[in-house]
Amino acid sequence: MSIVFEKVSKAFGTKEVLRNVSFEVKKGEILFILGKSGMGKSVTLKHIVGVLKPDSGNVWVDQQNVTSLDSFQLTQIRRRCGMVFQHPALLDSLSVFDNVAFGLRTPQYQQTLPTPLTEKQIEEAVVSKLQLVHLGTDILKRFPQEISYGMQKRVSLARTLAPAPEYLLFDEPTTGLDPITTEAVNSLIKDLSHTLKVTSVVVSHDMACALKIADRVLVLDRGGILAHDSVAEIRRSKEPLIRDFLSETVSLEAQLGASQLINRGAS
Amino acid sequence: MSEWIECPIPVHEKLLKRIGAPVYEQVCTTYEGFVLFFRLLQLLPQINTWRWREIWKAIAQIGVGSIPIICVSTAFAGLVITQEIAWHMDKALHTVSMIPGFTAQFILRELGIAIPALLLVSKVGAATTAEVGSMKITEQIDALRLLKIDPIRYLAFPKFLAAMISGACLTLIATAVTLGCALSVAVLRFNFSVLEYLNALRHFIGPKDLICALVKGTLYGGVIPVISCAYGFRCKGGAEGVGNATTHSVVASTVVVILLDFLLTYIFTWVL
Amino acid sequence: MITTSLLNLLHDFGSISLFFKKVFLTLLRTRGNLIPILNQIASISIRSLPTVAFAGVFVGAILVLQFNLILSAYDAQVFLGGLNTSAVVREVGPLIISFLLAGKIGAYTAAELGTMRVTEQIDAIECLGTDPIQYLVVPRMAGIVVSSAILLMLGLLISIAGSMAVAATACGVNPWEFTASIPQFTSISTVVSGMIKSMVYGIIVAGVACHQGYTATGGARGVGRAVTMAAIYTNFYIVIANYFTSGFLEFAEHWIQILGAQAGLGLGKAL
Repeated sequence: MSIVFEKVSKAFGTKEVLRNVSFEVKKGEILFILGKSGMGKSVTLKHIVGVLKPDSGNVWVDQQNVTSLDSFQLTQIRRRCGMVFQHPALLDSLSVFDNVAFGLRTPQYQQTLPTPLTEKQIEEAVVSKLQLVHLGTDILKRFPQEISYGMQKRVSLARTLAPAPEYLLFDEPTTGLDPITTEAVNSLIKDLSHTLKVTSVVVSHDMACALKIADRVLVLDRGGILAHDSVAEIRRSKEPLIRDFLSETVSLEAQLGASQLINRGAS
Repeated sequence: MSEWIECPIPVHEKLLKRIGAPVYEQVCTTYEGFVLFFRLLQLLPQINTWRWREIWKAIAQIGVGSIPIICVSTAFAGLVITQEIAWHMDKALHTVSMIPGFTAQFILRELGIAIPALLLVSKVGAATTAEVGSMKITEQIDALRLLKIDPIRYLAFPKFLAAMISGACLTLIATAVTLGCALSVAVLRFNFSVLEYLNALRHFIGPKDLICALVKGTLYGGVIPVISCAYGFRCKGGAEGVGNATTHSVVASTVVVILLDFLLTYIFTWVL
Repeated sequence: MITTSLLNLLHDFGSISLFFKKVFLTLLRTRGNLIPILNQIASISIRSLPTVAFAGVFVGAILVLQFNLILSAYDAQVFLGGLNTSAVVREVGPLIISFLLAGKIGAYTAAELGTMRVTEQIDAIECLGTDPIQYLVVPRMAGIVVSSAILLMLGLLISIAGSMAVAATACGVNPWEFTASIPQFTSISTVVSGMIKSMVYGIIVAGVACHQGYTATGGARGVGRAVTMAAIYTNFYIVIANYFTSGFLEFAEHWIQILGAQAGLGLGKAL
């Protein structure tokens, strides 16, 4: 029950994005993939669900080679992987309720259940998932354009959680969110992995979050792996890029601490 | 107590919004398009302020860039129209001897002008709206205005001038290509000799037709960037906004070109 | 430069064909597509009807003015109605109205799908275990093919009405004279060829627009580019397809006439 990358290479045109990348994510682990913009973080994620195919190398999910699966088997894998995108990626033409219920209504999901879901069960599931991301039932009937960006991102998270995935792949889950919601999303990721044994892969450039909730951290730079270590090891690293990331974090942690203090003072 | 009366305004409000919002948007864009047009006309006589480099670049992009697609398309149109006209002549007059005059008049007055204009709408109009719209939503236009650079003078005017010049030139090229193809069909399929064809042309078309074609080409060329810039400047929202603006601009330009074509044809009917 | 642009063109044509095949196979292999397709047909037709009607009227009007100019020189205005109707239905009507549809439907669809692509909505659908081709593209493509054929036919009818009105007001040919010469030029084959052309153009609009939108990349600029490319390629392919359909229809008509004559001869002998 794990995700394994085996010597994966990928190039777009002449631009080499991944070069011989190999790593493993264990069951129930939270892996943070860090790196500067355009270093192949999102590309790595898209390989796991088979949206992109590697030029060479293999990607294994649950001992199944994603690169050689046909579309039916790929759908089975995708059903068990939940992906949260960088943008909210909510369907404009559907209301918030229908967006969250989208994954529950697909035949691929319904087949895995003993009996098909009734509309009432779907509604209950949708409401409970929205509660997980701190959203009320008042926005159910609204459309994505009518709610704020932060809300859209949280709805998108709820949509991913609805079909109870075994793997969660996050593409910058906290970018564009306020600090308090960021905290909530982070603790949600942590809870899911600890209580439900969900395996999470989080792409981010937020070292502070990584240090707080990650089990392991993978740093990508110029197509290769710069470091793949536990948090404690990363903190001790001497690599200049990682030191840069860490020094950013110190000031951010100070800010976050201050905002929490203010928050506590207010409440 | 009788039942409480409630005016069902919310429903109507929604309905009004659905109908009214696009109409309002259309009216605003039309108004802005006219204002833009007059501003551009004001800039036209100020030759010393023209940005020649931008204008040359725009001519290369709009005019020269469109030559291949317009040549290929109008060539095919020329091949078809000769055969169609021959078929009709055969049916009506039981002779194909009138092909040269008929095709030449039809090409020079209508087909050789309308098809390039409609292709220009999709090539230049859509591209301009997409470009200006992306600049608008990434706040580049606001940045220009903050730097005290007039976006109309800097962005719209070179395109306007270039499109008018290219419109005229492309019309000439397109009519020449279409006529050439029409001639080749007439020669190869209907056994005209080249001289015979050209001789017949002389009786049917004159400098007047050419002037009308040039006027039409210039006007269509001028209208396209005005409409597409007006839609681009009004562009709002992210990727969706650019897509919508481009779609609306293509439709509006096509409709305006067809409308203008009718009006000009009508006017030229009396002039000729 | 010419070779690269030619290669690009061929490459695009090939990928559009492959895309079309993929969509067609999805349509055949999956179920439950009828309701979404009907929904699309309804929404596309209603949205585009006013524009098509407008274009139809003016296309008819322009042609009538042009033909009148030419015919009055020969004193042959009796032929105006037939010549105009035949030209509109067989050739110019489908061409110009489908140019408009390329903008109205093609660009709209490219913008819609392109936006969904660059905001990762299509990836999201895929990751939630639904085939985006079946969910998004099949209804749109089938909807566009059917409704642009319907719209083009409506546009042709409206343009005949428009040309009649203009002939009566501007050319002094009253509707009775106008309609009198129509049977001389048009027959079932004219209508059939107009319909076949409409179908072909509808397929082009659908294939090019969906392909361009579905494969868009690169943010707002990418959506703009997809829409532009959809408009250009649609118009370009329509003009070229116009040539080949015209040639094919002429060929078909010729053989049908010959075969029909032989059949009639055979029938006459038998009797």
